Amino acid sequence: MKRLGIATVAVLVLSLPALAHAEQTSGKKRRPLPPEFGRVVLDAESKKAGVPPVVFDHWLHRSKYTCRLCHVDIGFAMTANGTKVKAADNAAGFYCGACHDGKRVTDGRKIFDSCGKGSPQEVRGTCLRCHSQGKNVVPQVDFVAFTKGLPKGRLGNGVDWELAEEKGLIKPIDFLEGVSVPRKSLTAQKDFALSPKLEGMPEIIFSHSKHTVWNGCELCHPEIFGAVKKGSVKYTMSEIFDGKYCGVCHVTVAFPMQDCQRCHAKPVK
Amino acid sequence: MRRTGRTFLGAAVAAGLAAALLAGRPAAAQAPAKAPPPSPAPARAKEPSPAGSPAAAKDAWKREFEDVCAKTQDAMSLTSEELRALVARCDKLKPAVDALDETERKVASRRLRECRNLYQFVLESRDGR
Repeated sequence: MKRLGIATVAVLVLSLPALAHAEQTSGKKRRPLPPEFGRVVLDAESKKAGVPPVVFDHWLHRSKYTCRLCHVDIGFAMTANGTKVKAADNAAGFYCGACHDGKRVTDGRKIFDSCGKGSPQEVRGTCLRCHSQGKNVVPQVDFVAFTKGLPKGRLGNGVDWELAEEKGLIKPIDFLEGVSVPRKSLTAQKDFALSPKLEGMPEIIFSHSKHTVWNGCELCHPEIFGAVKKGSVKYTMSEIFDGKYCGVCHVTVAFPMQDCQRCHAKPVK
Repeated sequence: MRRTGRTFLGAAVAAGLAAALLAGRPAAAQAPAKAPPPSPAPARAKEPSPAGSPAAAKDAWKREFEDVCAKTQDAMSLTSEELRALVARCDKLKPAVDALDETERKVASRRLRECRNLYQFVLESRDGR
């Protein structure tokens, strides 16, 4: 009991500088609301083309497709504006256009054509579905209605996506005909524990199986985790809050790191 | 006109490289990738191109690419020799990918780099143990 108390205090003490650091590095940004968590604004090419930047919310896409499908098979970079997608790329069937081609069907509906041809009125209406920054665009799928039946999470989108998949409430697709490379299903590596630097902190349980279901191998290795020898890199919370290592996803899209116990999960002996 | 010329030149380079690649591969590796599971109409799937045409060579690079990158899920269970062979095949394929048109090159080169680097990473992590 006493040890549990020490561990709780240690978690709080350790998270304070990390939270303070996050606050410093992100200025005085407010914490995003559940529908906004995972939102990226893509303006690398939009402004040049004279259209408003694209506002992309991860929550809808992540409920239908694995991270790997978009970030490996389709080729989206892991940083906002890292891909520099052009309208011509989409129209040629790449990036957004890999699915948004006006032909592919999901949930019994044709996926709207991105950057495709049409009458000016159609084009304008369709363009604004993505190029929506600063525009009063009502999304076709309402966040509250969509997430109503999904298991609740404490932070981020307020949804426990992992549990939602476990319960079969979401079934993210990992293969896109004509884009993905057919391959065998993955045999996940074993879970392992990482020792925290602070004594009394619960150990970090890293679950390969949980991560590989959505990410495959090449999304993380070696670009995000490049160390070839176990223990050769000392990961710090400061770096992670800066968006390195786990922070590549867990600052932006996956459950946020303020949810300490989801990683520091092994009970203290 | 200039663009057409460049495109033709790119296709010709890709054709040569892909033909060279296929010539150096074992027969089993040349077999087309397994048929994917049924799903909606493909966005980029095409009819097979006539043999010997630049389009056929384009298909050849893609077949090789799909064959090489289909093994990322098995990387941990492959032998070091197999991993080295895959890294070499990725390196050999790179010029053909570099000769593609801008968008396709951007997508394919990133994917190829990820495959290659993963195989290399698994190799090195074995040595690093």
